[in-house]
Amino acid sequence: MITFEKFTLENRLKIIVHQDTSTPIVAFNLLYNVGSRDEMPNKTGFAHLFEHLMFEGSKNIPSFDTALQMAGGENNAFTNNDITNYYITLPKENIETAFWLESDRMFSLDFSEKKLSIQKKIVIEEYNQRYLNQPYGDASLLLKPLAYKVHPYQWPTIGKDISHIKNATLQDVKDFFLHHYAPNNAILSIAGNVTTDEIKSLAKKWFGPIEKREIFKPKIQKEPQQKEPRFMQVERDVPFDAIYKAYHMSAKNHPDYYVADLISDILSNGKSARLYQKLVKDKQLFSDINAYITGDMDEGLFMVAGKLMKGISMDEGEQAIEHELNKLKNSIVDDAEIEKVKNKYESVFQFAHISALNKAMDLAYQELLGDAEKINHDVKKFRAVTKQDIQRVATNIFHPNNSSTLHYLSKGNS
Amino acid sequence: MILNRKIQPAYQDIKKINIINPTKIKLENNVVAHFIDAGTQEIVKIDIIFEAGSWLQPKPPIASATNEMLMEGTSNFSSQQIAEKLDYYGAFIQPQPTKDFASLSLFTLKKYLPETIKILEDIIKSPSFPQHELTNYVNKKKQQFIIEMEKVSTIARRAFNEQLFGTNHPYGKNVQLEDYDSLTREALFDFHKKHYIPQNAKIIVTGKIDDSVVQMIDQHFGNKNWETNQEIKNSQNNSPHPLIKEKIIQKKNAKQSAVRIGIRMPTQPHPDFIKLTILNTILGGYFGSRLMKNIREEKGYTYGIGSALISLQNAGLLIIVSEVGANYAKETLAEIFKEINRLKEEKISNEELILVKNYMMGDFLRSFDGPFALSESYRSIIDFDLTPGYFNRAIEAIKTITPEEILQLTNQYLVEENFVTTIAGKYE
Repeated sequence: MITFEKFTLENRLKIIVHQDTSTPIVAFNLLYNVGSRDEMPNKTGFAHLFEHLMFEGSKNIPSFDTALQMAGGENNAFTNNDITNYYITLPKENIETAFWLESDRMFSLDFSEKKLSIQKKIVIEEYNQRYLNQPYGDASLLLKPLAYKVHPYQWPTIGKDISHIKNATLQDVKDFFLHHYAPNNAILSIAGNVTTDEIKSLAKKWFGPIEKREIFKPKIQKEPQQKEPRFMQVERDVPFDAIYKAYHMSAKNHPDYYVADLISDILSNGKSARLYQKLVKDKQLFSDINAYITGDMDEGLFMVAGKLMKGISMDEGEQAIEHELNKLKNSIVDDAEIEKVKNKYESVFQFAHISALNKAMDLAYQELLGDAEKINHDVKKFRAVTKQDIQRVATNIFHPNNSSTLHYLSKGNS
Repeated sequence: MILNRKIQPAYQDIKKINIINPTKIKLENNVVAHFIDAGTQEIVKIDIIFEAGSWLQPKPPIASATNEMLMEGTSNFSSQQIAEKLDYYGAFIQPQPTKDFASLSLFTLKKYLPETIKILEDIIKSPSFPQHELTNYVNKKKQQFIIEMEKVSTIARRAFNEQLFGTNHPYGKNVQLEDYDSLTREALFDFHKKHYIPQNAKIIVTGKIDDSVVQMIDQHFGNKNWETNQEIKNSQNNSPHPLIKEKIIQKKNAKQSAVRIGIRMPTQPHPDFIKLTILNTILGGYFGSRLMKNIREEKGYTYGIGSALISLQNAGLLIIVSEVGANYAKETLAEIFKEINRLKEEKISNEELILVKNYMMGDFLRSFDGPFALSESYRSIIDFDLTPGYFNRAIEAIKTITPEEILQLTNQYLVEENFVTTIAGKYE
């Protein structure tokens, strides 16, 4: 049980407090309800670029990092399809510094052409380092627009194209701030040796004076049901062929989400999982292969990605994957196997919620999904999944008409 | 009252860090186990550390293959059975081969420890290194190796080690693709027999510790029946090697170049080591470091640049690592040495030094927070047979170091002609 209290300020900032007396460190997590799905198709990569600018000083504080480091703190942030999440850990005694820093940059940022132009350069190098200069690094950039034709999940968080980053203007950035960064579009969660009273008074003092803002959210169009298999083939300077498959699956708040997550565990969580045992060890068709879900709030993707062993054809690889997916559709999972993946989920959940920071992050995210209390029902929901659920959901997901396939060919092999 | 947002709220310096001493127990077979009772969750982590790193291997990659193949079958269970059991209990065993050591870490819910510790014992004491598993391992590793060699960061790391240590030195000798084909079961059995023995083992246990946990450790790893052997310490050639100052490896179509610059340093037990960690922090050890400020935040040449002070058992080194836009490699090198020279010529301001001290104290606090952080921190001193007093000396050094000392250390240790530089990617 992770206990917590929550309250809301007049400006609609939601605040969650979890008391953990075992640690001298306090975790301060501020989630903004804005991600790359809230971008315009011709201005992608903005949520993430904006995350970079949040560290470039605010109205009253020239250097966010310096002030935090003086108080013994450390911080970082991430952006994904759905959210932008900022987090700080610092000695408990110095928690007010975190309130001061985060409230000032919610209040008003200090933008400049120079700061924007440097951060654009840095993000372009990030694009290179993570995607373009890595073997197989662009696979996800290719697969997403194949799977999504309407929904903004078709572009990656880093941006559809470097030109979108290059062309960002100061006005674009200012608009983005005003449209999305506001107390009424954020959730603050704090975990550590603190009391709700003390957090309440600090929150009122620092965040209370910030006024509510009008949030501009572009209407997100639902991805229409896919009617036929989609296929793409590319050739790259990589040593081995690879197969990537994406299937549409349920949104995070749908009960079948848990079932799909469990299916991905049966296929791919741990060395005893099916894809590894059958396709890597027994048949030795792949050097590695994984199944995972993208974990998005709207309808996300169930992914299967594998690198073929040298000499194995795409067809052999495809058939082997299909065979494993069909087994889930055509036969019922046995008790021991389903028990295994449920146990594993429970244990991973325990390990993942040891640190105050992870608890704070998850609480804020669950609140965004509807209620922080969900954190205490996750394991139960997994436990409740039945063998019949697995067969039913596998049948829905692994339909050929629901698939997008990318064949990533090695230049040397063709 | 109007809120003054310009002034930072009062903050306290960290005065005290609660350094708990692990309970040290010598088991019947003389294996020393360190117990750290920490955290609130019902979990246990066990690290078993052997002096069985690549330093001792007759030929690469015998040390890492032995370590990683322990999971792939024993005289009692097949590889698949081991994996099934661990997954059923939601436990993980992580093999970790390094240059000096090879360890196995078990992460488990405490309620399943009686079952999972048996698996850990079995894979350590009775591996069978089945031939078909070894063949599969070799095939997978070769593919991974070929993919890794496509990364500029990997290419640079390998070349750098050769430049600094020489290809005959155990820290400088890299595994080659064909080495995987010459791996044999016999070589793994032999390496295991020589090095995975009680007098070569140390144990660190953290999480929810009580008598039952101590007893289980004793029962499974303290017994005199654990087969032992004459300990063999191969003497290795650790003599200084003429440095290869600069190496440029061109990679067609690279969008970025990996830059790696480094220099030999003393090892952790040396009296200057702690102070050198402070120097390293200033140079490239945190987000506000000189290198990050200049090369990322002012120039935008890279997504990230950092430096690290590393102590192996037989050599220390300071390395600066980055991946920079293909056109910026030359400028980056110049800026790195400019920053090093600036530290040699100008005394660091009190303001900057206080910032670094406060940051490092916060970092210290974080590294003693929670069972996993604690065991990692203690591992760093146990590897060098240092006592927890080391941490108090480190705190003292952070609190008392002066700008003059930083200046002196930089001039003494960061001598330009002793640096080696590696660039992999594009460089004109």
